[in-house]
Amino acid sequence: MMFSRKAVIRTRYAFRHSRLLQLGVLMGFWCFGQAIAETFRLPAPGGVIGLAAVLALLLARRISLSSVRLGAEMLLAEMLLFFVPSVMALLDHTEFLGVLGLKLLVVILTGTLCVMAATALTVDLCARWTMRHAAD
Amino acid sequence: MPLTNPLALAVFWSAATIACYFVARQIYRRWPRWYLSPLAVTPALLLALATILHTRYGEYMRGTHWIVLMLGPATVAFAVPIYEQRKVIRRHWPVLLLGVVIGSATAMASAWAMASALGLSGALRLSLLPRSMSTPFAMSVSGDIGGSPDLTAVFVMMTGICGAALGELMLNWLPLRSTLARGALLGMGAHGAGTAKAREFGEEEGSIAGLVMVFAGLLNVLAAPILAYGLKGGF
Repeated sequence: MMFSRKAVIRTRYAFRHSRLLQLGVLMGFWCFGQAIAETFRLPAPGGVIGLAAVLALLLARRISLSSVRLGAEMLLAEMLLFFVPSVMALLDHTEFLGVLGLKLLVVILTGTLCVMAATALTVDLCARWTMRHAAD
Repeated sequence: MPLTNPLALAVFWSAATIACYFVARQIYRRWPRWYLSPLAVTPALLLALATILHTRYGEYMRGTHWIVLMLGPATVAFAVPIYEQRKVIRRHWPVLLLGVVIGSATAMASAWAMASALGLSGALRLSLLPRSMSTPFAMSVSGDIGGSPDLTAVFVMMTGICGAALGELMLNWLPLRSTLARGALLGMGAHGAGTAKAREFGEEEGSIAGLVMVFAGLLNVLAAPILAYGLKGGF
C-alpha cells in the first residue's frame, strides 16, 4: 500500500518535471486523435481532435496543467521548425521562379493584406462595441 | 561522395534541417528584422544546400517527414495556451468567430479576384483559394474543391512566410486597440507562422491566434462541400 502511493507520487513528480515525458503525452493524444479521425472518417485532422480532448480534460480537471505545460511550451516555441520541410517543395517547382512566381506572390501578398485588414478591423470594432455595452 | 543509404540520407537531412533552423534562430535573435525570420532564412540555407547536392524534394522529404508530423502534437499543445486564456475566450468567442467568417470569405474572394485579374485559372486558381488555413485543413479543402493539394501546400507556406512579415508591419499601421484583434489578424492571415509570430507579442495574442487558426480550419473544412457545389455552377 505504502509502496504504491510512493510510486504514484514519484510518477507524478516525474511528469511535472520532464519535458520529454510530457512530449510523449502530447504525442499520445495526437495518435489518439488520428485514430478517432480515421475510425469515424472525420474531416478534422488528428491534432485538432487531440487538442479538444486535452482541453476537455483540463477543463474537467482530470489532468493538471503542470503535467503537460512544459512539453506544450517546448513544441510551441519551436513550431517554425516543423514548417520548414514543406517549404522545400519549391525544389520541385522551379516554374515558380519566373513570372508565374511573381504573379503568385502578388496574389498572396494582396490577399493576405486584405484578410488581415478585414479580420482585424471586424474583431476590433466588435470588441470595442461589446466593451462599451458591457460597461453601460 | 553521394549518399545513397536511405537511413544515412534521413539522418543527414534531418540534422541539416535542425542545424540550419538553430543558426537561423540565432541570427533572428541577434537581428530581429522581418526579412530575417527563421521561416525564411532556414529554407533559404537548405535550398542552397539541396541545390548544390542535386537533391530532389521527394528525397529530402523522405528523411524529414517526421519533422512535419510534429505539427500534429504542436496542434495538441495549443490546448495549454487556450486553457490559460479561457476567460478571455469564453467572453469573446462570438467576436472571434465573426472575424473568422469575414476573414475566410475575404481570403477566398481576394484570391479568386486577384488570380483572375492576373490571368491564372483552372487548378492553379482553385489551389490558391484555401491558402490562408493551416496545411492539413488547406490540403483537404483544396482536394474537395478540385484544386491540387500539393500546390496548395506550397501556397500555404508562401502565405505563412509573407503573412508573418506583413503582419508585423500591419500591426504598426492599423490602429488596433485590443489584443484580440492583434491575435486574430495573425492567426487568420498567416495560420501557424502567424501564430508563432503572435507569441512574440504576448501570451494572449499567441493563444488567440492559435484559436482563430483552428476555428478557421474547421469552419472551412465544414464549408468546403458547399463551396465545391457553388464553384461547379450549382447555384
